[in-house]
Amino acid sequence: MTRIISRRGVLGGLAASGALLSGCSRVDEKTPFRQILGLSDAFTLRAQRVLLANRPLVREYSLSQLSATFPVNGTNLPPGDLYKRLLDAEFRSWQLKVHGLVNRPLSLSLHQLQDMPSRTQVTMHSCDEGWSAIGQWTGVPLGHVLSLAGLRPEARYVVFHCLDKISMDGNYYYESLDLLDAVHPQTLLAYGMNGKPLPIGHGAPLRLRVELQIGYKNAKFVDRIEVVDSLGSIGKGRGGWWEDFDRAVWYAGQ
Amino acid sequence: MMGRSRDVQVDYRHPLPVRLWHWTNAAAIGVLLFTGLLIFDIHPHLYWGEAGQEGQGAFISFSGDHFEDKVPRTGLRIGSHRWNTTGRLGVLSDSGFGDQYLLLAPAPDDWQYGATRGWHFAFAWLLAFSLPLYALYLFWSRRLSSTLLPTRAQLRGRSLLREISEHLRLHRARGEAARRYNALQKLTYLLVIYGLMPVMVLSGLAMSNTMNAVWPGLAELFGGHQSARSVHFMTAMLLALFILVHVFQVFVAGFGNLMRSMITGRFVSERERAR
Repeated sequence: MTRIISRRGVLGGLAASGALLSGCSRVDEKTPFRQILGLSDAFTLRAQRVLLANRPLVREYSLSQLSATFPVNGTNLPPGDLYKRLLDAEFRSWQLKVHGLVNRPLSLSLHQLQDMPSRTQVTMHSCDEGWSAIGQWTGVPLGHVLSLAGLRPEARYVVFHCLDKISMDGNYYYESLDLLDAVHPQTLLAYGMNGKPLPIGHGAPLRLRVELQIGYKNAKFVDRIEVVDSLGSIGKGRGGWWEDFDRAVWYAGQ
Repeated sequence: MMGRSRDVQVDYRHPLPVRLWHWTNAAAIGVLLFTGLLIFDIHPHLYWGEAGQEGQGAFISFSGDHFEDKVPRTGLRIGSHRWNTTGRLGVLSDSGFGDQYLLLAPAPDDWQYGATRGWHFAFAWLLAFSLPLYALYLFWSRRLSSTLLPTRAQLRGRSLLREISEHLRLHRARGEAARRYNALQKLTYLLVIYGLMPVMVLSGLAMSNTMNAVWPGLAELFGGHQSARSVHFMTAMLLALFILVHVFQVFVAGFGNLMRSMITGRFVSERERAR
């Protein structure tokens, strides 16, 4: 069953608040090299926004094109007792929190998410390392969840806080999107993969699928969604774990 | 011959747009090749078709491994042929997260790998914008027909054979012959500007989900997402080959004179006397 959610409700408030071309707010980008990089990053974002003005969908593939295996990248299994307990309870005790600049903070069980209108899509996942794989994803469009929560006018970014702590720096994985990527009809909170429940390695119980972006933007093990007006106060302020840790591009385009 | 009176003439060979584009491009391609190689090193396997991942039918695979030896070995596989390239191509380097294969260039110690793709895109913008402008400039200024398209006489078999033989013997062109591009040179420049470089830009764009959403069929133009990546890499290697030969030829044909002509525009050649 595939159903596209109306994005009008969310987009109406978005356009009115002038958030369509908001870039990433950066606080420590002072050196000339960083400024060039930031300029190019912003330019890529604006160019792709212009090209995406008619809101096209990314290419979807047929089931016969599914990759036989789909590489697990990043965290295989989140370390720690918390995740183990969630896993032992088959995520019955887990709830997705939606908070921040929203009118109605939400706390949603996996069942509640599964009962929402869903979308199933077969898409290409491209990793910035160079490999790519085709998978089928089932989930609730993020735009639907955001419209249930109701974005406040000052909302600009959607931040995904994850359950996996990364050993390299001891911080939890996180990612963020601007509102246009967030409400794209193919941007899903996915709980199913290839017709089965989302495997652990691919981010159970819930992961982000943002088909307009490259691999690392597709956060796994999503636990909490925070709507903010600026990314500056989260992590090191660059909008994501890889962005903070290794200067990965925030608007990875794809 | 040159001793008693330096009978030379000076041509204003390269107008400003040519010099500007040449050096902008040189810088852009330098950064693009370097960052491109760093990106390639992380997954040095090439596939044909839409998807591709390690262990699934790469037609070209670079690799490095310690095996049981103390000295790491590197290898190259093309199809079913394997070569041991230890000491000749590729090295293994300890990145701190395990061994990292490096095809050619190691990154500086403080390089942030996450930013590699950002740098690649920044200079890709420069290349992608200047290329069509330059291609149009060549056309509008009639430089395309006056300096880059080979003449009918140049394309005759005997003339081409002579050029090939002179190139192979590394003969420096002199007098009138030095004042214009030879046919091999013209064909190479045309191939690079109107062939290789547009393919670089297009195959780069073809790897993007966004660009494929905007222009459906872009990736299929190359045979799929991974094919576009393979075309991108192989065309880059052809460009690198062009640059090597190009720089070598600058030394053959006269480094000082050619560098001056690409900096100030002025090219000096000996005047031929009527006998």
